[in-house]
Amino acid sequence: MTNSEKNRLKDKAFQVFGIFCTFIGLVVLAIFLIDIVIEGIGRIDWDFLTSLPSRRAARAGILTAWAGTLWILVLSALIAFPLGIAAGIYLEEYAKKTKLSDFLEINIANLAGVPSIIYGLLGLELFVRFMHLGPVLLVGALTLSLLILPIVIVTTREAIKAVPRTIRDGSFALGASKWQTVWNQVLPASFGGILTGVILALSRAVGEAAPLIVIGALAYVPFVPKTPMDEFTVLPIQIFNWTSRPQAAFLTNAAAAIIVLLLITFLLNGIAVYLRHRQQKKIKW
Amino acid sequence: MLHIDEELNRLREKLLEMWDLVDYQLTSGRDAVMNADHELADQIIKLERKVNNYDIKIDRMCENFFALYTPVAVDLRTVLAMLKINTNLERIGDTAEGMAHFVKKLDRPFDPELVELTNMMVMYDQALAMFRECRVALVKDDTKLAKDVIKLDKALNKIYRKSDVIITKYLQANPDRIPEALALLSIIKKLERVGDQVTNMAEEIIFYREAKVVKHKRKKKKKED
Amino acid sequence: MTKKHNKLEATNLDAFYGDFHALKNINVAMEEKAVTAFIGPSGCGKSTFLRTLNRMNDYIDGFRIQGQILLDDRDIYASNVRVDELRKEVGMVFQKPNPFPKTIFENVVYGLRIQGIKDKKVLQEACETSLRQTALWEEVKDKLDKSALALSGGQQQRLCIARALAISPSVILMDEPTSALDPISTAKIEDLIHELKQHYTIIIVTHNMQQAGRVSDHTAFFYMGELVEYAKTKTMFTSPKNERTQNYITGRFG
Repeated sequence: MTNSEKNRLKDKAFQVFGIFCTFIGLVVLAIFLIDIVIEGIGRIDWDFLTSLPSRRAARAGILTAWAGTLWILVLSALIAFPLGIAAGIYLEEYAKKTKLSDFLEINIANLAGVPSIIYGLLGLELFVRFMHLGPVLLVGALTLSLLILPIVIVTTREAIKAVPRTIRDGSFALGASKWQTVWNQVLPASFGGILTGVILALSRAVGEAAPLIVIGALAYVPFVPKTPMDEFTVLPIQIFNWTSRPQAAFLTNAAAAIIVLLLITFLLNGIAVYLRHRQQKKIKW
Repeated sequence: MLHIDEELNRLREKLLEMWDLVDYQLTSGRDAVMNADHELADQIIKLERKVNNYDIKIDRMCENFFALYTPVAVDLRTVLAMLKINTNLERIGDTAEGMAHFVKKLDRPFDPELVELTNMMVMYDQALAMFRECRVALVKDDTKLAKDVIKLDKALNKIYRKSDVIITKYLQANPDRIPEALALLSIIKKLERVGDQVTNMAEEIIFYREAKVVKHKRKKKKKED
Repeated sequence: MTKKHNKLEATNLDAFYGDFHALKNINVAMEEKAVTAFIGPSGCGKSTFLRTLNRMNDYIDGFRIQGQILLDDRDIYASNVRVDELRKEVGMVFQKPNPFPKTIFENVVYGLRIQGIKDKKVLQEACETSLRQTALWEEVKDKLDKSALALSGGQQQRLCIARALAISPSVILMDEPTSALDPISTAKIEDLIHELKQHYTIIIVTHNMQQAGRVSDHTAFFYMGELVEYAKTKTMFTSPKNERTQNYITGRFG
C-alpha cells in the first residue's frame, strides 16, 4: 500500500468515525424526546395548563409553575439586560487598558463558569438572609440575573466588538462624542447580537432549578404570583418535585411539564437564531 | 471635464500661441525678403527670444505632464506629439530668424528676374500655406488634412531641386551678382527645411490621432518602386 | 500671484505611541484651498500625522504629541479647544468607504443631527447641497431613504465625502481614499478632489504616487517618522532634492 493510499484510508476511517460520534448525540437526544413525548403528550390539555397544583396527580396542573417561569423570565431580563449591556459597553468602549480592567475581565470570565448552585447560595445569603426579602420572585430573578450577567456581558462585548472600527471613526470624525457614537452607531449595529446573547442566556436561566430551590422557592404554590414580592415556583422545580414522587401518574405529569419547558426553551432559541440570521442579512460591512 | 483633459488643453493652447508667433515670423519674413526690409528683419530676430521662451515653457509643461499624470495611450501619444511639434516649431522659428539675417545683408531687393526664374516667392507662399494648413489640422485633429499637408511638400522639393541649375545659369549670365544669388539660394534651402519641418509636425498629428507611424515610410516606398 | 494663506501649520511636532517615536520634529505648512499629498512607505508616519490634524489619535492609549499644530493660527491641541468643534472644521474621509448602516439621507445629515439640528428643511437642504457637490445627487436622489450599504464602493466613498461636507468644514483630510476602489471610481474621486479644492483645503495620504502627482499641488515625503522633503508636486516629481525621495518615487527603494 502506498503512502497516499494509506492516508486516504485513514481519511475515510475518520470520516466514518466522525459521523458515528455525531449520530450518538443526535440519537440519544431523539430517544429522550420521543420517550418524553410518548409519555407526556396525552396529558397536555387546557386543564393541565390552567390548573393549580394538587396532591392528586390527575387534577394537578402547571399554571403556577409556568406563570412563575414567565415572571422570572421577564424580571431577570429586565434586571440583567441593562446591567449587562452597560457593563459590556463600559468594558469595550470606555475602560482603558489597565490592571484593573484586566482583573475585571478575567473575573467576569470566571463568573461565567461558576456552578449555578453557588449563585443560589449567594442569593440566599445576600437577598433572603441579609436583605430579608424572603423566597419571593424578585429574589429568584435577582439570583438568576447574577447567574446570566456574565454571559450577557460577554455576548454584549462580542457584539460590540463586531462593529467595525471604521464606523466609530466615521462618527468621531463628524464631531460625535463617545456617547453619541455608542448610542447612534454602536448599539443599533450590535443590538441584534446583544439580544441574541441575552435570549440564549435567558433560555439557560429558564431551565435552572437548583439555585431557586436553594433560595427557598416552593414546590407547592396554590396561587398565581401577582407581584414580584409573591412566593413562587417554576417549571423545573415542579418537574423535579413530580419526578421524585413514587406514583406513575405524577411521572406522566412531569413528562408533560418537560414538554412545555422544552417548548419554551426551543421558542427562545428559535427567536435567537432568527434574530442572528436577520442581523447577518441586514448588515454586511 | 476630466482634469487630465484640462491639462492637455492648456498644453495645446500654449503650443498654438507659439505657433501664431512663428506664423508672424514667417509672414513678416516674406515681406522682409520681398522688400529687403531691414527693420522688419530686426523685429523677426527679436521675436526669436520669445519663441525660445515658449519652447522652454512647453518642454517644461510636457515634463511635468509626464511626471504628474503618467499618461497612457492617446494621452501619451498626444504629449509626445506636442513635445516634438514644439521642437519643430522652434526650428521653424530659427529658420525664419536665419532668413531675416540674410535679409539684413541685402542692400536692395532681389533681382525680380531671379526671383521669377527660381520660383522663390511661389515656394515661400507654398511653405506658408503648408504651415497654416498644418495648424488647422492640429486644431481640428484632422488627419486627412495632415496627410494633404505632407503631399504639398513635394512641390517645395521640386522647386528646391531645380534651383541649383537655375542659379548656376543665372550666375554665368550675371557674375557680378554672386552674393545676392547665394543669399537667395540659402533662403530657398531654408524654405525647403521649413517644408520638411511642417511635414514632421503633420506626421506627429497623424501619429497621435491614429497611432500610425508615417514618418520614414515614404523613403521605403521609394526603394520599393 | 499672491501667496496663499497657510491653513494648517505644524511646528516642531513630535508624536509618540507609548515609547515609539512615530513623528520626529515635523515642520510643515499647508496652503489654503490647495491639495497637499503625504506620501511614503507604510509605517512612515504619514497617516499618524494626518490623524493628528483632527485629533483622531486622541482615542489611542499611550498616544501623545509635543509641539504645535496651528489651524488658522490657533493651536488645535490647546486646552481650550473642544475636539468636536475642531472636527466640524476639519472633516475626514477614510481608506475604506465607511457609510453607517443607515439610509443615504441619515448618513449625510448625521453630523448635523449630532449637533442637535432637527429642522427637517435645514437637513434636507444640507443633504442635497452636499450630494450635489460630490456629483452623487442625480444618482441617488430617488433613493435617499434606501440603505447606504446598497451603493457601490465608489458611490459609498463619495457619500462619505458628502457626509463630511455636510457639516461645512474648511479642511478635508483623506486617508488613502481610493485604495479600496476600482480605477473608474478612483478617477471620479480624483476629479472630485480637483473640484473641491476651489473651496476646501485638502490633505490626502496616498500610497499611489501617480495619484499624488495627479491631484496634489504640494507633496510631502515621509520616511521613518521624518519629513524628508516637502515641495511643489511638480518640482518633487521632476527634480526631487533628496536622494531618498528620488529612490522612493522612482520605485527604487531599499
